[in-house]
Amino acid sequence: MPEDDIVSLSHVSKSYRSVEALKDVSFSIKRGEIFGYIGPNGAGKTTTIRIMIGLLGRYQGSVSINGIPLAGNKDKVNLMLGYLPQRAAFQEWRTVDQALSTFGRLSGIPKTEVNSRIASTLDRLGIAEYRYRKVTALSGGTLQKVGMAQAILHDPELLVLDEPVAGLDPESRYAFKQLFRDLRKEGRTIIFSSHILSDIEDLADRIGVLSAGRLVHVGTVDELKRQVTIGKQVFLELAGGPAWETIAESLPGVRSWEHLQGDRYLLRLEEQVDVDATIHELMTQLMAKGFRIRGIYPVQPSLEQLYVSYLQQGVSL
Amino acid sequence: MSFGILFRDELNGFYRSKVMLFLWVGLPLLGLLLYYAQPSAGETPLSSFIALVVSAIGGTLSSVMLAVTIINEKERKVYDLFVIRPIKRWEIIVSKFLAVFLCVVVAATIAILLGLAVDTVRMGALPSNFVGDLLSSFAITLGMIGISSSASALIGIASPSVLVGVIAVLYGSNQLSAAVILPVLLMNASALPTIGVSLLITGVLLVLACVYFERKQL
Repeated sequence: MPEDDIVSLSHVSKSYRSVEALKDVSFSIKRGEIFGYIGPNGAGKTTTIRIMIGLLGRYQGSVSINGIPLAGNKDKVNLMLGYLPQRAAFQEWRTVDQALSTFGRLSGIPKTEVNSRIASTLDRLGIAEYRYRKVTALSGGTLQKVGMAQAILHDPELLVLDEPVAGLDPESRYAFKQLFRDLRKEGRTIIFSSHILSDIEDLADRIGVLSAGRLVHVGTVDELKRQVTIGKQVFLELAGGPAWETIAESLPGVRSWEHLQGDRYLLRLEEQVDVDATIHELMTQLMAKGFRIRGIYPVQPSLEQLYVSYLQQGVSL
Repeated sequence: MSFGILFRDELNGFYRSKVMLFLWVGLPLLGLLLYYAQPSAGETPLSSFIALVVSAIGGTLSSVMLAVTIINEKERKVYDLFVIRPIKRWEIIVSKFLAVFLCVVVAATIAILLGLAVDTVRMGALPSNFVGDLLSSFAITLGMIGISSSASALIGIASPSVLVGVIAVLYGSNQLSAAVILPVLLMNASALPTIGVSLLITGVLLVLACVYFERKQL
């Protein structure tokens, strides 16, 4: 395992009775990076994560964290990681303080330090005022922040987050994403799964794409873009002129178009054309026909488009 | 160290969720109420009657409490955040068992002491073998509570739902614990072997529960 890898999965397979949930999955995560793990529901994301943190056993292959094999070293490995499930669950009688105090102590924080750690962690997450509230009295977003607090309380090197922002309101999602960036700056490594692809695109240094239990891509989003043929597209916004239909069918290099809203259009170009040259030609022709152009530029496919195309094209590594 | 933290935590949970209050006040009160509600109970000393009530209700209470807690927490995936920390899974189960057992033992002790106090006031001096017999039956009661609680831990881990768990506890662990007392009742056997057998069965069931929890995919 290379020194800058903090997590390494090698040929990991897992079956639940006759269902193969993971098939020969191998990848590694570099120290200090944010690794996004994407895949449709039932693809095996949670299974991978639960194997990685030692919650699931009886699998083939090997997992090591910081160069230490997970099998037989659970206690040592567990001290290095923090985990946040999709919905953090606590015993109902607990207050936030009691929950964090127990988890902090179990994670090896000395009794004399645990109070100050709880205070600073809650402060960091902006939920200091909830410290002595019962967990049953908290909203879903606040409860997830408490979940995040227990994951980072003991200052772990590696954070494993399973759909951490699913079900959060936009404000909380923004706060979580900002926290992830801050944690990366501090040198933490984060692996998180999400079906909200824009979140992964915003944050992840590299991504892993899982489909039907098989890992079909590991790399940066740009690398994924290079592998997937997703038609060339141009965004066009007009500021007035003759009726669009008078020219729509005779635009140079345009295979098809889509009316987005108002005077905005998405033009899908023919495969062989050069995008910049076509934009230049389009501008010339549109202006010659009396159209006024407010904006025209090539559209980069989103991770979501790439992901769908990737799975549709059945590309495999 | 983690076992101590978990055990204190469980006791704290029973205290916070008012379970302790209901047990420690409720069980003696229930014993008193039933005693004075039964017309024929007046011939039996209150302490003996309460010991009977405790063996009947205490075992059921502790076993249902334990099984339902485990099933609920398992279903809500509460244990995930525990087992990803450097603790042993058996510590979770044993700490729960001991906390429930301790709570019920204290409740039973309070109830029986209350009965003894009332009996002493009512009867003046107690018969010479009265306290010895009471202690024997108390020890058997604790053995029964131990068996039903450890069986319930196993049922809690295995049950797919609270309803199935409660039915299994009522049909299974309670009847199993009652079977231990049969030799004493039917053959007038000594209490000591019964206590020994109870301890042994409790230990075996608890080990089985821990091994099963260790292997179970949460």
